[in-house]
Amino acid sequence: MSLLSIASRRIIFTFLLLSTLLMQGCAQHNSGATLSLYERIGGQPAIEAIVENLLYRIAEDEEVVGYFANTNIDLFAESFATQLCDISDGPCRYDGPPMDRAHQTMGITDAHFNRVVAYLDIAMRHEGVSLSARNDLLGRLAPLYEDVMRLR
Amino acid sequence: MHQPSPLYRRLLLMAATASALLIALPSSAGSRILGTGAVSAIEGAAGGGLSPWAVLSSTASDNELGATASATQAWVDDYQLSVASASINVHDRLELSMARQTFELTTLGGELEQTIYAAKVRLFGSVLYHPWGIWSAGMMHKRLKDGSVPTALGADDTRGTDAFLSASKLLFNAFLGRNVLVNGTLRNTSANQGGLLGFGGDQGGRAWMAEGSLGVFITPNWIVGTEYRQKPDNLSVAREDDWQSLYSAYFFNKHVSLTGAWLDLGDIAGLPSQQGGYVSLQAAF
Ligand code: HEM
Repeated sequence: MSLLSIASRRIIFTFLLLSTLLMQGCAQHNSGATLSLYERIGGQPAIEAIVENLLYRIAEDEEVVGYFANTNIDLFAESFATQLCDISDGPCRYDGPPMDRAHQTMGITDAHFNRVVAYLDIAMRHEGVSLSARNDLLGRLAPLYEDVMRLR
Repeated sequence: MHQPSPLYRRLLLMAATASALLIALPSSAGSRILGTGAVSAIEGAAGGGLSPWAVLSSTASDNELGATASATQAWVDDYQLSVASASINVHDRLELSMARQTFELTTLGGELEQTIYAAKVRLFGSVLYHPWGIWSAGMMHKRLKDGSVPTALGADDTRGTDAFLSASKLLFNAFLGRNVLVNGTLRNTSANQGGLLGFGGDQGGRAWMAEGSLGVFITPNWIVGTEYRQKPDNLSVAREDDWQSLYSAYFFNKHVSLTGAWLDLGDIAGLPSQQGGYVSLQAAF
């Protein structure tokens, strides 16, 4: 194989890598200048609809619903909606218990955690949230895994 | 042109039947998010087409078991590779896999066959939730069925073992609102052309090789990306190049995925610049 064609293969790969990184920079630049994630999700009505939709899905999962056996669902729904509003840069401040304390000694498994994440994503899709807004919100929630599971 | 081996045809048929059933009928699956089990790499482990990734196969989570079966076919200018592979995932901690590769020398004549037994352990982390992603280490033990051609080319051995360390991470919302999957693998190997041309040679033996991939989830079901695999160059009579691919994998659901790729494998066994296509069907349970 000629040196030229080896060089060209390296160049294709490097080009793909660089263009991805560059376009990422542009994408952040554009979306940052316009709407907040809270607005892209659809504001408070959409968040409340998402939480309600999520609760129906949890209610239908015999295993996951067990965690909520002693929970006041109205308070949970309000608290979770406030947290979603806060984390998506909406006009709310979540001042409930920290995530580790809120989930301590529940024994949440990875399997159940993943199922709740999947339900949240389907709930958002059902409420018409765009793929990019869904990815953005899931990306903001993902790091909370460490806290949610710390005292499990 | 040679016909694919009977074993391969049987596995392809099984994978196709299982896939048809799994698309048609709802059935229980692992709890991990769609796509996080990757596809079956040509050496059997969960990964891209060319390189193992840190994620474990199927969508089994911490208290679940998973299994996969896959059939893969690659055509480049002067060769054809068929792979039948299977894996199990125990509690998203341990992945055991086996792959049977049949490499047909369509221009030179003849065929080479190797079997690969591999184990991968998740060391820590998660591809979605951990800030450092998921980290896994693994071993691949490879045995050539008939080593006469590799030995004639100057290979030292007809059996060898690779060790690898791999990290994968999903970057949410990283590219035009889409999630991006990055993977890096370091492999310690003496395998020539992945082992099909034996292990070690007159120009060298064991060395560390770097492999990497980058993919964009266009939708939650569909990832498109590129992969790169550095390779040793141990045989003076059969120079070897790094491998590269552009791939597209579609996850119909948690059970069935279909991967297509364009391959650029460089020189193989004296025949220059091997390029071509790749198709792989995976069924996961
Ligand atoms: C990133 C993921 C999660 C986030 C952001 C989250 C968020 C929250 C919030 C904000 C509350 C309300 C705390 C309060 O006001 O008292 C809460 C409570 C709760 N969460 Fe989560 N949660 C997550 C994952 C999970 C998972 C996976 C489960 C179960 C499988 C779960 C089960 C519960 C239960 C049962 C409560 C109610 C506790 C009580 O009765 O006081 N959460 N969560």
